[in-house]
Amino acid sequence: MKMKTLTRWVVLFTAAALLTFPMQAMGGEVYKLGLSLAITGPTSDAGNPYSKGVEDYFNYVNDMKLLGDDTIDCTIRDDQYKNDVTRRNFEEFLDDGIVFYLNYSTGSTLALKRDFEEEMIPVIPASFHAGNLVDSNYIFLPIASYSAQVIGLAEYIVANHKDGAPKVAMFIHPSAFGRGPVEDVQKAVGAGLDMEIIEVVEHGKDLDNTAMLKRLKSKGVQYVISHTVQSPVATMLKDASSLSLMAGSFGEAGKLTFLGAHYTGGNDLVALAGPSSENFYWTTSYIVTSEPSKGADMQLDLAKKYNRDDKAANSHNYANGMMVAQVATECIKRAKAKGKEITKETLYEELLAMNGDNAFSPGTTVGPVTYSETDKAGVDTLQLYVVKDGQFKSAGEPFVPEYTEKIK
Amino acid sequence: MASNRWLATGNYFTSYREEQRIFFTSLDRSAMILFIVLCFAWPLLFDVGNKYMLVIDNILLAIIAVIGLNLVTGFAGLISIGHAAFVGIGAYTIASFATVLGDRHIIITHCWPLLILLSGFMGALFGALVGLPAMRLKHLYLAIATLSFQMIFEWVINFMNFFNQGQTIPVGRVYWLTGKVMRNDHYLFWYYVILAIIVVIGFGARNLLRTRYGRCLIAVRDNDRAADAMGMHPGLTKVYAFGLAGFCAGITGALHAYLNRGVGIDSFTLHHSINYLAMAIVGGLGTLHGSFWGPIAIKVLDLQVERFSEWAGSHITAATNLTTALKPLSFGLVIVLFLMFEPRGIANWWRIARSYIKLWPFRY
Repeated sequence: MKMKTLTRWVVLFTAAALLTFPMQAMGGEVYKLGLSLAITGPTSDAGNPYSKGVEDYFNYVNDMKLLGDDTIDCTIRDDQYKNDVTRRNFEEFLDDGIVFYLNYSTGSTLALKRDFEEEMIPVIPASFHAGNLVDSNYIFLPIASYSAQVIGLAEYIVANHKDGAPKVAMFIHPSAFGRGPVEDVQKAVGAGLDMEIIEVVEHGKDLDNTAMLKRLKSKGVQYVISHTVQSPVATMLKDASSLSLMAGSFGEAGKLTFLGAHYTGGNDLVALAGPSSENFYWTTSYIVTSEPSKGADMQLDLAKKYNRDDKAANSHNYANGMMVAQVATECIKRAKAKGKEITKETLYEELLAMNGDNAFSPGTTVGPVTYSETDKAGVDTLQLYVVKDGQFKSAGEPFVPEYTEKIK
Repeated sequence: MASNRWLATGNYFTSYREEQRIFFTSLDRSAMILFIVLCFAWPLLFDVGNKYMLVIDNILLAIIAVIGLNLVTGFAGLISIGHAAFVGIGAYTIASFATVLGDRHIIITHCWPLLILLSGFMGALFGALVGLPAMRLKHLYLAIATLSFQMIFEWVINFMNFFNQGQTIPVGRVYWLTGKVMRNDHYLFWYYVILAIIVVIGFGARNLLRTRYGRCLIAVRDNDRAADAMGMHPGLTKVYAFGLAGFCAGITGALHAYLNRGVGIDSFTLHHSINYLAMAIVGGLGTLHGSFWGPIAIKVLDLQVERFSEWAGSHITAATNLTTALKPLSFGLVIVLFLMFEPRGIANWWRIARSYIKLWPFRY
């Protein structure tokens, strides 16, 4: 009798063990990632939709089982644009064992650069500052650097301006983020880009730019290239509009034509500047939802699936967030396909191999994402957009700035 | 002297010297020694991870800075709104060496105790310079003078290429007797260094307040004309108070540079100066142990509000504006509430708790 009971228990235990074992095996791996960014505080107008883009895409990957039974667990922390909080978040992520890190600001990327090197962890920041790549092996810019964007705008001015060398002013953020590309544009001019930089204006928190605009006009400035965030540009455009200085078409004589790099434009600028944003020229490597494309549909569908409002759904920063999540997911997918274990090292290898036939087209950008040992800027192609009837529309075909290579 | 040196229930001083003792009872002394031993021992027993070690290190750093601020504002009665700039002077002293010599130069990596001390002296020098207007200015006017220094400091750093226009200047890893302090031990190593410096500075400040130089600060705060009449030099005392505050701030800045392995302007802004002032107020101006309570309270509050904001952001739709406002709101509210209801700060709660325990079981 005792023997019978014992046997019964053994059978039950074995059955339970057999049942639970495959359950565990089928549960799949969880890949930990981390993102620290400004969801609140300064620059949160960009950081907020960016975080939603990242969150929604990783949710999509898990919900649609794009990695099979494996899932991505990306912890998103708000650092309020404070470098010390970013450092703390990064340490927390490392304690948690992340294999890929997504960062945000220029300041924190530069501050943590040495830590990324020591940890040998691949990092994609939301900052396109060329300085991020100096003495760095593990930072990968998602798209062309700010310098490349500003040089691209300068090249466009030179190519389309009539009557001699154009006179250009630069309107920049009062920080290293804003100042970074100035030197590179000056180098490009030195290397033969036929234009004249009349003045570099570091804006403050001015609510009125009348004096500045009148000064630029009196100096004969014809074009203003902005490299800052949207609100100061919106203030400037409104003032230019009220002073009747805004060019009705590109390079209109006697008027100012305004152009800007990635963080100056997008729907937020149109919302802030209203009709004054008409004819503002903007460059980025991302698609916009005001132009029909497969990528735009994908962006809008994703936002709809996760109940995002129209503002977030149409934001180029939402596309920005989606894109970095797509790149991280693609690396994991490729490493898995090769039967590799998902680690910091293997994901780094996959990023470096993302070129040539292995280039990745996420759909949210105007060109493919390519990385290699010598190329750490993802999408090299830029697209010029112009505001027409309150919407950004493509102006010409995607292009790659020539002088970025010439000044290296 | 009390008959029982362990459990004295009253004051039994028979001389001024006795009244100036650091510890009134043997119990106080033993408790302090035990506390210090525990502070040094607990990391050997518990592993809290790098994140929390960094939080603790930052609290300890703020304690050193607030001890300095308390000396100038709490004890000498001179409002300083530029304390973060003095901290920045210390940090940028290290950064200057790193810029000129290279961040991995042997002086940066091996002679760091000397550099930390030098940073303290640089802070003291700038403190004394900024304190010069204190010889003629008082109250709000002096506060504005310190604010000006804060503004000038930020402007200089932001616009000078030598200081990388405010962006991070890297600082190399240091060496200790066991070799290079690597990433795994980094925060723990600096915990011990900062803790040791706190013990030295804490006892240094306590001792200073027992001397004529310390009493000068309080005399000038209470009535500078009376202090002058008694033979003290109020002007020099004020300059010297700023020098002391600058020294502590300079030490903090240097430690900050090494802890974060880099120096950037965003850690030394006006916002940080206000933060230090808030820590001194909440902890208790004019009390040494208030300099410990304040940083702990404000930093922990910061963390908790951050967590709450995150929770609110994820549960309440369109809560971004609310969460953005929550941190400054709670911060301002705490200061206002303390100023209204407990101007003597947390240090007063500590005093009440101690006197209750001392008199227990008697109520009076």
